[in-house]
Amino acid sequence: MRIDESGRAAAAGALDAFLRSVERRALRMAELAVGQREEALDLVQEAMFGFVRHYADKPTADWAPLFYRVLDSRITDWHRRQQVRGRWLVAWLRRGDEDDEDDPVAAAPDPHDPGPLARLAGTEAAGALDGALRDLPLRQRQAFLLRVWEGLDVAATATAMRCSEGSVKTHLFRALASLRRALEVYQ
Amino acid sequence: MNEQRPAWLEQARDLLEAGSEGLDAPTLSRLNRARQAAVARHRKPQRAAWPWAAGVAVAAACAVALLSLGPRAPSAPTAVLAQAQPPPAAPAPAATESDAELLGADDAADLVQDLDFYAWLDAQGAQDG
Repeated sequence: MRIDESGRAAAAGALDAFLRSVERRALRMAELAVGQREEALDLVQEAMFGFVRHYADKPTADWAPLFYRVLDSRITDWHRRQQVRGRWLVAWLRRGDEDDEDDPVAAAPDPHDPGPLARLAGTEAAGALDGALRDLPLRQRQAFLLRVWEGLDVAATATAMRCSEGSVKTHLFRALASLRRALEVYQ
Repeated sequence: MNEQRPAWLEQARDLLEAGSEGLDAPTLSRLNRARQAAVARHRKPQRAAWPWAAGVAVAAACAVALLSLGPRAPSAPTAVLAQAQPPPAAPAPAATESDAELLGADDAADLVQDLDFYAWLDAQGAQDG
C-alpha cells in the first residue's frame, strides 16, 4: 500500500514536471491556432486532462508526441465547432496530404543563409513571425511548431498530428515556403 | 533534430521561445491550476468500475422479476365471477367460399324458385313407394 502511494507520488511528480515543461509552448500553439488567449487556455487544460487520462501510463519518452496529439485533437475539434457555427471558413480541411521524399528542414539549402528574419529588430521580428504563423493553414502551422519549435522528429510529429511522415514533410515544406515568402516582405 | 538548420529557423525558434517566456501572471496562474488539477486527477486512486456494474445488473434483474411476476395471476373475485358465467356460445361458422359459389350459381337460383315442385315430387314418390 505504501509502495503504491509512493509510486503514485513519483508518477505524479514526473507528470507535473512534464506538463510544466510543455505548458507554455502548448499555450502559444493553441493561441496561434484559435487567436484567443482564453480559448487557448481552455484547450490546454482539456489537453492536460485528456493526456493524463489516456496516456499518463505510457513510457515517458512517448509523452511529448502523445500530449501534442491530444492538443492537436482539441484544436481540430475547436475548428470543427467553429465551422459548424459558420464563423470559420478557412480552407485548412481541404489541404492535400501528398507525400514528399525529403525532410524539408534537413534538406534546407544553406544553413548559413541569414534568411528573412535577419534584418528585423527583436519585437518587429517577433510580430512579423507571429503574423506569418497565424496566416498559415492549421496543419502547416502545427507541423512547423512541432518540428522546428518543439523539436520533435518526423515520426513523433506524425504521431502528434495523426498522419503519415510524408504528410508531415509536405506540410512542413509548404509552411517553410510560406513563411519565407511572408517574412521576406519585411527585408 | 540534430541536423544543422538554416539560421532563420533558429532565429524563429528563439523568437517563439522568448514569446512563451513572457506570459503575464494571471495566465501563468491559470496554467498552474490546470496542471495541478490534471496531476491531482492522476494521483487519485482509480475506483474499480465493477461494483457499479454489479449494482446496475442486480437492480435490472429485480425490475425484470417484479414486472414478470406482478400482473400475470388474476385476482380471486375475478376468477369466481368467470366460473359463474356461462361459457360463451360457439361462434357461428363463417360463410365459406364454397357457400358463396353455390349461392351465386344460376342452377341454385332455379332450385330455389322450383322448391314447391320438388317438395311435391318428393311427396308423390313417398306415396308411390
